[in-house]
Amino acid sequence: MKIKYSGIGPLLLPFALKSEKALTGFFFKINCMKYLSFIFLMILISSCWKINIHPDYGPVPKVWGNKPVFAAVDAAKKILYDPVKHSLINAGNIYVFKNTIFQVDVGRGIHVIDNSVPSDAHRIGFITINGCEQVSIRGSYLYTNSYTDLVTIDISDPVNMKIVNTIPNAFPDMWISYPMFEPEESGYYECNAFRTDSVVVGWVKDSIPQGCYKN
Amino acid sequence: MKISILSKMLLFFSPIIFLCACEKNSVSNNGAAQTGKGGSITRFTIAKNYLYVVSNHFLNVYSLSDPAKPRQVHTSDLNYDIETIYPYGNYLFLGTRTGLYIYSIDTASSPSLIGEAKHARSCDPVVVNDSVAFVTLKSSSGCGPAEAGLYIHDIADINHPVLKKTIPLPDPMGLGIQDSILYVCCGSAGMKVFNVKDPYSPTLISTQADGKYLDVIPYNGILICNDEEGIILYDIHDPAKPALIKKIS
Repeated sequence: MKIKYSGIGPLLLPFALKSEKALTGFFFKINCMKYLSFIFLMILISSCWKINIHPDYGPVPKVWGNKPVFAAVDAAKKILYDPVKHSLINAGNIYVFKNTIFQVDVGRGIHVIDNSVPSDAHRIGFITINGCEQVSIRGSYLYTNSYTDLVTIDISDPVNMKIVNTIPNAFPDMWISYPMFEPEESGYYECNAFRTDSVVVGWVKDSIPQGCYKN
Repeated sequence: MKISILSKMLLFFSPIIFLCACEKNSVSNNGAAQTGKGGSITRFTIAKNYLYVVSNHFLNVYSLSDPAKPRQVHTSDLNYDIETIYPYGNYLFLGTRTGLYIYSIDTASSPSLIGEAKHARSCDPVVVNDSVAFVTLKSSSGCGPAEAGLYIHDIADINHPVLKKTIPLPDPMGLGIQDSILYVCCGSAGMKVFNVKDPYSPTLISTQADGKYLDVIPYNGILICNDEEGIILYDIHDPAKPALIKKIS
């Protein structure tokens, strides 16, 4: 049986059907699909009613999920070298400079590994850089990012690493994809709203309003 | 007679010339300031006297004439989602969600687009050897319907890259090349070691299974592997036969 769709039907059908084959044209060899799409439409419309007509439709249900931990921008962007081994949580980019290997711990900082004797290579320290994802080095300077800032760190004296320059918000389009913007694990999380005074430095498990979901 | 002496001398010196070339490749010198080497998955890279940063939609260029204070000298607003940047010779190779883009850095302060291969939706990283670009594509990263695998492009004509060969691989990520040996990281499926002497018909030599491989850097006879649990080091003085040195966790 061929059904000719007219009016708004064909435009809405893609939302109701996931099968790509069904999108090949306005003519479909289907029987029950129109009923299915009708039901889908009704669900869509009824969900709209709930949002538009009853804005106070009960409280949002609570679920177990991840809640962002915020820190004030000034505190979150402090860079600190700790000359002891830290354990790796979320392996990011790697970089090698002379006898030293750098491994980013996404969102947290950079592990420093002494590779002067490869058979005895080991972590010697950790640079805490919240929102960090990238690393590149020339001479005495390490370039990295803290959230959307471009940061230069003088590494000539490894024990006293210091920030020598920051270009604030150098990569504004990286904002929604900065490492801590979402929790690392999948599941529900409290939606992260844009703030100018604070940034996310981590995520903790808690009972949260059912909002965002990470696959 | 003279010719044979000359050729003998050439034979004698050629390994030294070769070594020097390697030295220059692994660590590019700029006066006293040395640059390190990154993996294939990166948004930061240093070439010539500039730091190149790809954000989601921009290619940002910073002058390092004062290395402590990078100074922005150029920004290209690109209409596609950029994922990685890889420098090779006078070129920058950008792996993006819509394809492989090649920029010339003849004028290092303002890179210009000279070539693209749009058919490969190459979300993931690129490494280049002579006239061949190796690209990995992960199908699970929301980069479109293309098949996950290794995509090999002929870039002899840099303006018109041609896709020559596709090898399906499970979830390939970072990759690196040493001589004619290509290392492809496939997460928990291991690290695939290919002979790419004939780049368009690679042969699989072995699969290393010491961790969950994310990326690699071949560096001075050592293969530095980024592992989900730390770093794995291999001796690659014989690049075809990586020998495990150390796992750092």
